[in-house]
Amino acid sequence: MTKKFDDRTLDLLCEQALNGLTREQRQELDSLDARAFDSLEANELELAAVKLSLIGLEKDAQLPEHLFSKILADSAGHVKGEQNVFTKPRTEPVTAREPSGGLFGWLGWAAAAIACIALVVTIFNTRGTTEVAGPTPPEQTNEVLTPAQLRQRLIESEQALVRAEWAKGNVPQSEGISGDVVWSDSKQEGFMRIKGLPVNDASKEQYQLWIFEDGKLEEHPKDGGVFDVNDAGEVIIPINAKLKTIDPKAFAITVEKPGGVVVSSRKQIAGLAAVKPSQT
Amino acid sequence: MSQNILKRIANGDQSAVQDCLKSYGGLVWSLARRMLRNSDDAEDAVQEIFVDVWKNAARYDEAQSSETTFVAMIARRRLIDRIRFTQRRISADSIDDMLTEPARTGDADIQTLVEGREAFRALKGLRPEQQQVLQLSIVQGLSHQEIADATGMPLGTVKTHARRGLLQARELMGVGDLGKEVSV
Repeated sequence: MTKKFDDRTLDLLCEQALNGLTREQRQELDSLDARAFDSLEANELELAAVKLSLIGLEKDAQLPEHLFSKILADSAGHVKGEQNVFTKPRTEPVTAREPSGGLFGWLGWAAAAIACIALVVTIFNTRGTTEVAGPTPPEQTNEVLTPAQLRQRLIESEQALVRAEWAKGNVPQSEGISGDVVWSDSKQEGFMRIKGLPVNDASKEQYQLWIFEDGKLEEHPKDGGVFDVNDAGEVIIPINAKLKTIDPKAFAITVEKPGGVVVSSRKQIAGLAAVKPSQT
Repeated sequence: MSQNILKRIANGDQSAVQDCLKSYGGLVWSLARRMLRNSDDAEDAVQEIFVDVWKNAARYDEAQSSETTFVAMIARRRLIDRIRFTQRRISADSIDDMLTEPARTGDADIQTLVEGREAFRALKGLRPEQQQVLQLSIVQGLSHQEIADATGMPLGTVKTHARRGLLQARELMGVGDLGKEVSV
């Protein structure tokens, strides 16, 4: 390779690639050769340093869940997408703790959920109708999509969607909840459509989604992310599953402290949605 | 699919943001923790890095580099800036653990694994003292002065090894053969 620069310039370019330059070093580099800073040589050295930096990276490193959620929520303004409704990221690290509800809390939860499932199954069997609309070809577009459009795109593009409808939980404010959930195992993507939940004060409490993969409603369901409900009426919220989710059997919304929790006490259940048998 | 993520982000596809975080979040998080050695600092830095990624996604050119390299370059620049600003550098407490086979990263990021191994092979092609200096500098994030303090080498010797090692590693990895500039 042709060497375009003298030794001192190369020294500074190597320093730039390895550790960055101080203001004084930058000035010196500019005085030696004003073209050097943005030269191909500089770029190649930085590229070599970047490749070397990939050595020995942590095995299976993943972003912490709360950080993932925060970056995802904050991305809206930068990616030019429409701000979705789960705009309140977790603002503090969450720590694992035992559910305060104890056995009785879990029993109450399970009883409510099983009743909900039974109700849904009954309704589904007696209605004997299908809600799956005929798929239409998705439009190929580079336009910014709203959560509603993203949901529609998912519905139109995915044949094997998991679907569930919201039913009331154990808090009085959930009496009027309606809407549904759609989830794609293959795309690991899904959306909640919710009407009738009270607007929450995000400084005091937030809604949190939980995903159950076990029909017996496992003790530790998967965290589906925290979200807020605004006064827009129907809201559509992307599901932010923190872990790979396959064949979910039920979804639940609880009311939690701002930022959410790792383990819910399940004292305040704002909604339950059991997957219809034909969809499992 | 993963190689289209940045283009999708540049086109304003918000669903690509989640894909990007799943594909490259671990890479950036790992780099940040290794270079900053402080989880609070690393969290702040990772957020800044991804803002940079969103802003620069449109500049990515797949003909010039992989997405992994592009994201890692943005990350390193931001991390170096942060280290320079805060003057918080790591201590050389794990020198004996250097020069080991790169750990396998997640299966989802094969590109990182491939490029890491390519770099590792290049590193092994260097003289031992060059390997040590580059490992401490790039992989562990030590300054030249800290390397000198940790190894007992004169500062000038550290700089010489770093420079010659980096130049040779560039040749061994064929970076110079690209003949193109990766603009970020």
